[in-house]
Amino acid sequence: MAAPPERLKMILAYVDPGLGALVWQTVISAFVGFLFYLKKTRRWIVNFFRKIFGSRPIEPKSTSPVVESAEIKPDAR
Amino acid sequence: MPSSAPSFRDPAGCCLVFNHRVLRFVAAGALAEFEDFLQTAAANKFNAERKLVSSRRLTENETAELRAAPELKTVFAALNVSAVFEHGRVPFVSYPHEWSPEMLWEAGKLTLDLARAALADGFGMKDATPHNILFRGHEPVFVDMLSFERRHPGDAIWKPYAQFVRTFLLPLLANRRWGLSVAEIFTTRRDGLQPEEVYRWCSPLEKFRPRTLSLVSIPAWLSRKVNPDEQKIYRPHLVGDPEKARFILESLFNRLERQLRALAPAAQNISTWSDYMATHSYDDPAFAAKEKFVAEALAEFKPARLLDAGANTGHFSALAAQAGAAVVSVDLDAACVGQIWRRTQEKHWDILPLVVDLARPSPALGWRNREQPSFLERAAGAFDGVLMLALIHHLLVTERIALEEILRLAAELTNQLLVIEFVEPNDAMFRRLTRGRNHLHAGLNATVFEGACAEHFEIVRSLALPETQRRLYCLKRKADQ
Repeated sequence: MAAPPERLKMILAYVDPGLGALVWQTVISAFVGFLFYLKKTRRWIVNFFRKIFGSRPIEPKSTSPVVESAEIKPDAR
Repeated sequence: MPSSAPSFRDPAGCCLVFNHRVLRFVAAGALAEFEDFLQTAAANKFNAERKLVSSRRLTENETAELRAAPELKTVFAALNVSAVFEHGRVPFVSYPHEWSPEMLWEAGKLTLDLARAALADGFGMKDATPHNILFRGHEPVFVDMLSFERRHPGDAIWKPYAQFVRTFLLPLLANRRWGLSVAEIFTTRRDGLQPEEVYRWCSPLEKFRPRTLSLVSIPAWLSRKVNPDEQKIYRPHLVGDPEKARFILESLFNRLERQLRALAPAAQNISTWSDYMATHSYDDPAFAAKEKFVAEALAEFKPARLLDAGANTGHFSALAAQAGAAVVSVDLDAACVGQIWRRTQEKHWDILPLVVDLARPSPALGWRNREQPSFLERAAGAFDGVLMLALIHHLLVTERIALEEILRLAAELTNQLLVIEFVEPNDAMFRRLTRGRNHLHAGLNATVFEGACAEHFEIVRSLALPETQRRLYCLKRKADQ
């Protein structure tokens, strides 16, 4: 993973991130992050058995139309 | 001279209107990122759908010409500008304090759609506010192109979350729950409603309803508990797995979309004037004569841009749009404006409906009153035609505006055509509005009205509507005005 950009520090200075709302978002993010691992574990278990029985493994799916993740370019900052 | 003050909050650049061109000045540090965003699948898709404003980078020569303009020297110096982009113009600029709840909802939907699509391309958003959006007719267009920035793949926090809640969800909630108008909220508050403010309005029971709990109560409780000087809260929280970060953000966007859908304005908002088309005092022949008169005036003058002042539910705006005009319909009643917007969206007419009270038009707002010009500043001379149908008695009686003043305003708004309906003081609606103060309008009659018109307009033709105390006038603005 690319190093955290310096700019991340100043982004929050532009728009008021709120206080309670930001903390609440962080709490929910932690919970959803936990769900992510549950989902990942479930996928791993299902794929394990699919492998045994010779079926195609389940690919991770995204709700977004494009899955390609863009790398941060150092020259973009 | 620049015709608008530059936007200034974003250090990455600013946007201003100069010589009728919309120019965006991009600071050196933000250019590569901005150009990268323009190449993304999300930008191309939304551009093709006309939901993202078009952007063209000016050539070196064009930029050099701008650099030489004395009016722009401070902009170039303050920003260390490395490139200038020209955006497509939106015909009539409107602001959130002039929108119906339906329009605010639509703007929120576009913001979420863009955030989700940009996420797939590795971009995030710096802000999520209705001020990023204008309306081209009834269609929202995202115009603040510098809102997009490359996101760190491990960043699981959507920075503008709180702003999205403040400026979209809470105003829609307040509108649904307490009938607070979008105009009231955004005329007095640039950044929407704070959860703490809405919390005070909620009844004890309301505070525990699931929607209020998540959007209002928990953030309000947390803001009391958390030390506001604790800077650790504001540091980026990065997760090690980019897939996990995206999962969290997609889940957040899904949740916000569900909350937005739950706050969609009701289709049948009723107000004092929303049933006017069913309950007005014209009988069928009189209304048919009125329609014919307006249609003939539109056919003769062919206004490209038309203002329908006091549009009610937009019957005559639709007539003008079908005749080929780009229409701005204004009415003080948000429920009526919402109805126009719904119908326009369904029929794909070129109508921009706005909540504007002509007797108290939207003021200039923002820093030094220069960020958002007043409605009249934007509207003056912007139209080839103006309709003032069944409006004049409201201004004369309810608002106590002098007849000469009403016609002076009409002459400032239109470059050519004015179709106006004169209502005699013995008309039923006129009498209802006067509430016993008939003596104030005792001398008013068609001759006095025509005399007042003569100062600014030539009378092309007029028509007494059968079986009514009303007369329609087709007026042409005098050339020396």
